[in-house]
Amino acid sequence: MTRRRIALLLTALVATSGVLPLLLLAVFGLQILRDRGERASQEALEAIAAQAGTRIATYIVQQREMLRAIGTAVADEADAARRLADVSLDAPSLGKLRLVSTETSPRELPRMLNREQIAAALRGNEVASETYIAELSPAMDVCVPSGKLGRAVCATLDLLELQRQVQRIRIGEQGYALAFDRTGRLVAAGSGAMRAAVLSGEPVAESALASGLVNGTPAPTRLRSGDGRDVLAGWTSLPNLGWSIAVEQPAEEALRGARTALKFLASGAVLTLLISIAVGSAFARRMLTSLELEERFKTAGRIATGVTHDLGHRLTILQQIEQLAAMNDADYLPRIRESLAGEVSTLRRFVADFSDLTREAKPADFLPIELNAFAESVRLGAQGYAKEANVTIELQPAPSKLWVRGDRYLLERAALNLTRNAIEASKPGSAVRLRIERGNGAAVLAVEDRGQGVEPDRIATLFESFSSTKRTGAHVGMGLPNVRRIAVAHGGTVSVKSKPGEGSTFTLSLPVSGDQSSSPLAPATMP
Amino acid sequence: MRSLLLTAFIGCTAPPVPPVVVTVALWGPLGELAPTGSEPALASIAQPWVYDKLVTVDANGELKPILASRLERVSNQQVRIELRPDATFSDGAPVTDADVVRSLESDGLSVAPAAGALVIQSRQPGLPIDALLLQAYVFRESQGRVVGSGPFAVASQSASELRLNRRIPRPGRVNEVRLTAYKTPRDAFAHTLKGDANLIIDVEPRSVEFFRDVPSLQIIHGAGRSTDALVFNPALARPDRVQLAEALASTQLRELAYGATECAEKATTPRSDVSLGTGRGLRILSWGPFERLALATRRILAARGGEIRHVTPQQALSLIAGGAFDMVTARPLRWPPGSMALVWRTGSPYNIFGYSNRTVDRALENGDWAAAEAALRDDPPAALVCTHDHIAVVDARIVNPRLGPYETLETLPEWEVAR
Repeated sequence: MTRRRIALLLTALVATSGVLPLLLLAVFGLQILRDRGERASQEALEAIAAQAGTRIATYIVQQREMLRAIGTAVADEADAARRLADVSLDAPSLGKLRLVSTETSPRELPRMLNREQIAAALRGNEVASETYIAELSPAMDVCVPSGKLGRAVCATLDLLELQRQVQRIRIGEQGYALAFDRTGRLVAAGSGAMRAAVLSGEPVAESALASGLVNGTPAPTRLRSGDGRDVLAGWTSLPNLGWSIAVEQPAEEALRGARTALKFLASGAVLTLLISIAVGSAFARRMLTSLELEERFKTAGRIATGVTHDLGHRLTILQQIEQLAAMNDADYLPRIRESLAGEVSTLRRFVADFSDLTREAKPADFLPIELNAFAESVRLGAQGYAKEANVTIELQPAPSKLWVRGDRYLLERAALNLTRNAIEASKPGSAVRLRIERGNGAAVLAVEDRGQGVEPDRIATLFESFSSTKRTGAHVGMGLPNVRRIAVAHGGTVSVKSKPGEGSTFTLSLPVSGDQSSSPLAPATMP
Repeated sequence: MRSLLLTAFIGCTAPPVPPVVVTVALWGPLGELAPTGSEPALASIAQPWVYDKLVTVDANGELKPILASRLERVSNQQVRIELRPDATFSDGAPVTDADVVRSLESDGLSVAPAAGALVIQSRQPGLPIDALLLQAYVFRESQGRVVGSGPFAVASQSASELRLNRRIPRPGRVNEVRLTAYKTPRDAFAHTLKGDANLIIDVEPRSVEFFRDVPSLQIIHGAGRSTDALVFNPALARPDRVQLAEALASTQLRELAYGATECAEKATTPRSDVSLGTGRGLRILSWGPFERLALATRRILAARGGEIRHVTPQQALSLIAGGAFDMVTARPLRWPPGSMALVWRTGSPYNIFGYSNRTVDRALENGDWAAAEAALRDDPPAALVCTHDHIAVVDARIVNPRLGPYETLETLPEWEVAR
């Protein structure tokens, strides 16, 4: 694993454990902020709707009060008809005023008041119709007492001004107000796109909600409006008039401020996270560099200790041979020759161990290897050493061919190392078994011996550098660490199971490659 | 390489202008489209697109040739014109002197060929030729149809719809127009707001509000050619009429009848020396949309304000003919200046009120509009109260919609469509 990758992993770990909770907290905070923003917008719209409703109710009340006042003041005058006609000049919103009596022809009666209502008006009661669309603007027929039984003053209130008031309500750039009558018919619309419905009487999306509101069913504060947009809405109803007012603003516009703040905060949070990752990564890399440096010094120290010890041992033996040679006794010559050959062999292995450490596994250069044949090759390679130790090597191949990809040289070094260790651990006359099998999707080469086994407390450090305790002079403690390095470089693992007094099994697991039987590369054998 | 060049070529070519069909929303019976006729029909708004006149007027009131290639004023009652040689009718036939003779003679003009030109004069002495020429379209009958030489031709007509197509389509212009007649103004407005129609004319100021902030539409204004007025019974004594005109053509009456901003007239300071004197109450005859004007007039007249009779247009014509009024609400033509002759000249067929003044007649015969106006002020036939703008609502994709100056929609063939 490279230093950069370790640094990133460390940073991710820090981010996950430290920054991520903060980020989650920020996300929740932002969500709360968003909800609050939406609620605040809806409350503002509701306030505007209530204000508009009050204005409309006041306007109607004022018109009817004015009509009452005129009715009382003018109706008894001799020129009442003329004076009532003149009123429309000063109060155009009252429309055309007229005196109504039992003599009035049906054609002259207010068209939206029924016979009962007219009769009630002539008995001195004030009566009013529902609002309706007269020609192009909303209107309401109203009759007020004239002060004389059998006569009433009637007017068709022109509610154009109300329509204007509703149409002129603007919220932001795109918000508008809508007014509905008791049946849900749109009577005024600030939205130009919905205004056709005012004249045509066609229901809009809000019509049902508006009529429901008048009857006490609350209307939603977020909805799909008549012009198809997602809007926030504030509602109010005018029970006396039977109107309901909706003030709508496209959600996109209403929440723009909150969204901008959210985006800003979210960007800040992400930026903070990125900065912390960048800084953390840089610090982690620096730390790792110094750790690695320290580790190198430690390693160099361990190597120096191991090399000093081992070479010192060899030096002692060579000094003894030299002393033996200095005696010039021909009888010692064979012994001297034998000892020197042994020492040369030991030093050669010593050099080979170090040489293995310098060879890097390169996946691009990996070749297919059939594991049964490979194990046979290893067996043959270790055969001479086994013979010397009076140990036999048995091979238990997998039932079918098992392919892996790898650096053949390095894998052989690893397998031979395990095999030689097993031979060394075995008693003379016993056997070492090489077992090939497929297990858990991996190709396995297991090396079993029936030796003394490894003490449990040593197993944890068995694959660490220079941890060998054999210290026979022929081991510098680099064998098993090198086996692990080779296994990992091939995407595999090495493990050990051991029972003291019963023996050990070292298992080298490698990723299975596809069937490579068609590979032109024949399984090689050890030289 | 070839595809690269093709891409570059396509990339450099301007995008085609999407076709815009103008659908005019009208209310009432559509009627027949004809170049002449005593009963004006709604379909007549299409006249200037289908039929050409010899001349029209520009915004300054000056004559501008259309079918004529050359125009020479012989006198105030006579012009000499030469026809454009390239003009053709929609059936492909060239516009000839004979077509002009036939067309104009049905409009009260006499036409006489003279040395490669046509000499045109009014058959009614005293009426200026300008005013009559502005009303006269040139046409011919072809296979039972009356065709014109204007840029559009009738494609189809039913009781509620008239379809017109541009004879030679022009990119970036309106090439198809439909006149659709609805039963009521409410229907016409509703369908326009809904997008079924995209042009509506004669919108009253109080109704303009409906079209504000409708993204697909724009509101346009054009100067009005006629003025709401109170026309006096010519039998009223001249000093009375002068005083009445002073009192009624006032800011006070305008504001009372129409509000502060509806009229094109400038505000004036009321004169303190105006006295309406004493005498019987003056009877006010009113019809159609003038009820409020009549009421306001009566209030301004104070003690002289008499009975108001609000009647139908037919009843009004009958009462006017019988002289049973002191003043009547009306909307006489005021522009171009020559049109004064049609309304106020003695004996003019449009002078239904019976006004007569020799000084006015003489000035009109001489084409001296300033003198005619001065004479009308001196012996006023009416109190001119309020000139309304024409208001129309039109598709927002039209980039240069204009109204007038003479016919409300005469410039429609020149309207450009936004790219």
